[in-house]
Amino acid sequence: MSPTSAPQAIDAVGPGEADQRVPLVRITGLTKTLTGQETARTVLAGVDLTLHRGDSVAVLGRSGSGKSTLLSLIGLFDRPDGGEYLLDGQDVTRVPERRAAALRSAAFGFVFQRFFLLKHLTAVQNVSMALVNGQGWLPRRKRRAKAMAALELMGIAHLAGHRPPRLSGGEQQRVAIARALVREPRVLLADEPTGALDTETGNLVIEALRSATDRGCGLILVTHDHDHAAKMNRVTHLVDGVLT
Amino acid sequence: MTLSGRLRSSLIIGGQGIRARKLRTFLSMLSLFLGVLAVVAVQAGSVIAQRALLSDLEMTMGRDGTLQLYPPGDDGASAIVLDAVADRTDAVAMTRARAIVGEPGLRPVNEGGGPIDGGLGYGPQPMGPGGEAMACDAQGNCAPAGQERVVPTGQAIELQLLAVSGDIRQFRPFRLESGRFLDFDSAPSLAPRIVLNKHAAEAFTQFHVPAEMRIEGATANTTPRVIGVVDDGGWSPAAYVRTDELVNWMPVDFLTDPTQGGSVELLAAPSADDLERVLRARLAANGMNPDELHVQTIQALKEMESQLALMRWIFLGMAVLVLLIGVAGILNVGLATVGERVEEFALRRAVGTPRLLLAGIVLAETLLTGLLTAVAAIGAGVVGLEGASRLLASREPFLADVAFPWQAGVAGVIAGVAAGVLGGLVPAIRAARIPIATVMRA
Repeated sequence: MSPTSAPQAIDAVGPGEADQRVPLVRITGLTKTLTGQETARTVLAGVDLTLHRGDSVAVLGRSGSGKSTLLSLIGLFDRPDGGEYLLDGQDVTRVPERRAAALRSAAFGFVFQRFFLLKHLTAVQNVSMALVNGQGWLPRRKRRAKAMAALELMGIAHLAGHRPPRLSGGEQQRVAIARALVREPRVLLADEPTGALDTETGNLVIEALRSATDRGCGLILVTHDHDHAAKMNRVTHLVDGVLT
Repeated sequence: MTLSGRLRSSLIIGGQGIRARKLRTFLSMLSLFLGVLAVVAVQAGSVIAQRALLSDLEMTMGRDGTLQLYPPGDDGASAIVLDAVADRTDAVAMTRARAIVGEPGLRPVNEGGGPIDGGLGYGPQPMGPGGEAMACDAQGNCAPAGQERVVPTGQAIELQLLAVSGDIRQFRPFRLESGRFLDFDSAPSLAPRIVLNKHAAEAFTQFHVPAEMRIEGATANTTPRVIGVVDDGGWSPAAYVRTDELVNWMPVDFLTDPTQGGSVELLAAPSADDLERVLRARLAANGMNPDELHVQTIQALKEMESQLALMRWIFLGMAVLVLLIGVAGILNVGLATVGERVEEFALRRAVGTPRLLLAGIVLAETLLTGLLTAVAAIGAGVVGLEGASRLLASREPFLADVAFPWQAGVAGVIAGVAAGVLGGLVPAIRAARIPIATVMRA
């Protein structure tokens, strides 16, 4: 099944649900200092970033430049020290953890370099685990249907009953992307999703992520790979804590 | 988000966690099993001991709430009591007399009516005017020790004869050992039917005596018919006889004469509250002081509680100690499991799982483990009790037909749940505190 013929259940947020002119993500002057045992290091020194629906941004930078920190602030894993963060026009800069958890569930999908699939669950269970997170309740049959649709979108529905150890790296990452998409996120955050994959498989994964933007989903891709970055609408570099 | 949704989420994920780590769950259960089993055993033992003790107390004292009435010692008072309960089914009068069953003219082997294995018995040791030791025969003829007419000992048993006006088992639930108990529906017989207690039955098994019953004050020696044996909880030989069969052979006044060792005790159901008023009125009408009717209520449960309380606390303390060791086991395994699952919990937080639900997932796992352990321990308790009942019932009668007490099941479930919560609390808090950025920096 091709990504474009995705079932309606996992279509991204469509027009009409929000003001199309309001950016999905607007970050202004974001700062973050990481405190070590003895020294404090400023990793983000005033980051500005805007992401619209269907938009895709690549963030390039050296190791330790703060790419993952930026992603964790956007994904509400952590809070910035300064600046302003608007999500769909709402200020979430200092959002409390309880609300942040609800937003992570409703607005974001995450893809990590190391897949983080649960070994004791099958592929379809790994996808549907994102639907059993205490944010709303779906009956088992509906959860399975949604998870299967997401797997189908990634072209790996036939692997639904397989556990991660029996899947290749590319297949595992596609399961992880299906998990990220199953809650129909508005923003997809990918932290070096091809880092553990060969070039060919990496390209397939990038294509899968890109296809999500076709349905209105915003995509922020953190990567070292310039070729993959070039497939995004915009490419930015994080240098000295600032996006250029 | 409804609570049931979160509850269901935590149960689903907790169940997945248990299935994924079967060996670890089994090890947790193993450490907890003995603790829960100890609680189940203590509670079951306590309830069974309580029942056994209550059953013994009820046999000797009477059922809880039974009214005991003692008439004054005035002449005719006992006759009034016997008359008052003649047609009542909710009250029974019991008179006491001493009887010797055996060969004529022989001293009983247990003179004084003590247990057969009690040597010379517990009767008063007669003394002469100068304080010298005296010996008496069965007819009461006494002489200085060594000079008495030699009356051979043996082939006669002295026992307490308890004449009852109705079925006393409604107040004192004797256990029927063999035969049957007294039948109060049939016409009284001239040959008194008697039911022996276990001690009397053992005595008659040991000494095969001819059946002649001598009762002081009786108009003639009678030939009793033994129709059954009961366990009445007593410690010395006794026999039960229908009052109306006994009074064929001895006057009621003599039977109830306190100067002859006779006495009347009335046992009445708690609902027979009118009986006391009737008796007081009749006593007053016959010129006696109604205030001398002594009434008391049997409090077998209260008596038993004080006996059981200390024992129960000691065993409960031991059970709690064993349970705490089980809790430590589940805590240890829980902490190790959380350490192993850091990435999983961080990932779950990343996809929107609140901290509270993460804690709930860990608690659900330990709770389910505790419940499974409780079910296993209760099952082991049921099987163990059934086995003990089958194997040991012949030696320990209180184990015969004993059912697993539901209280022990409830205690087991509570212990399992409590251990699950206690053992899972610290791991749950740790799981909830796992920083979400763990997945980013892995």
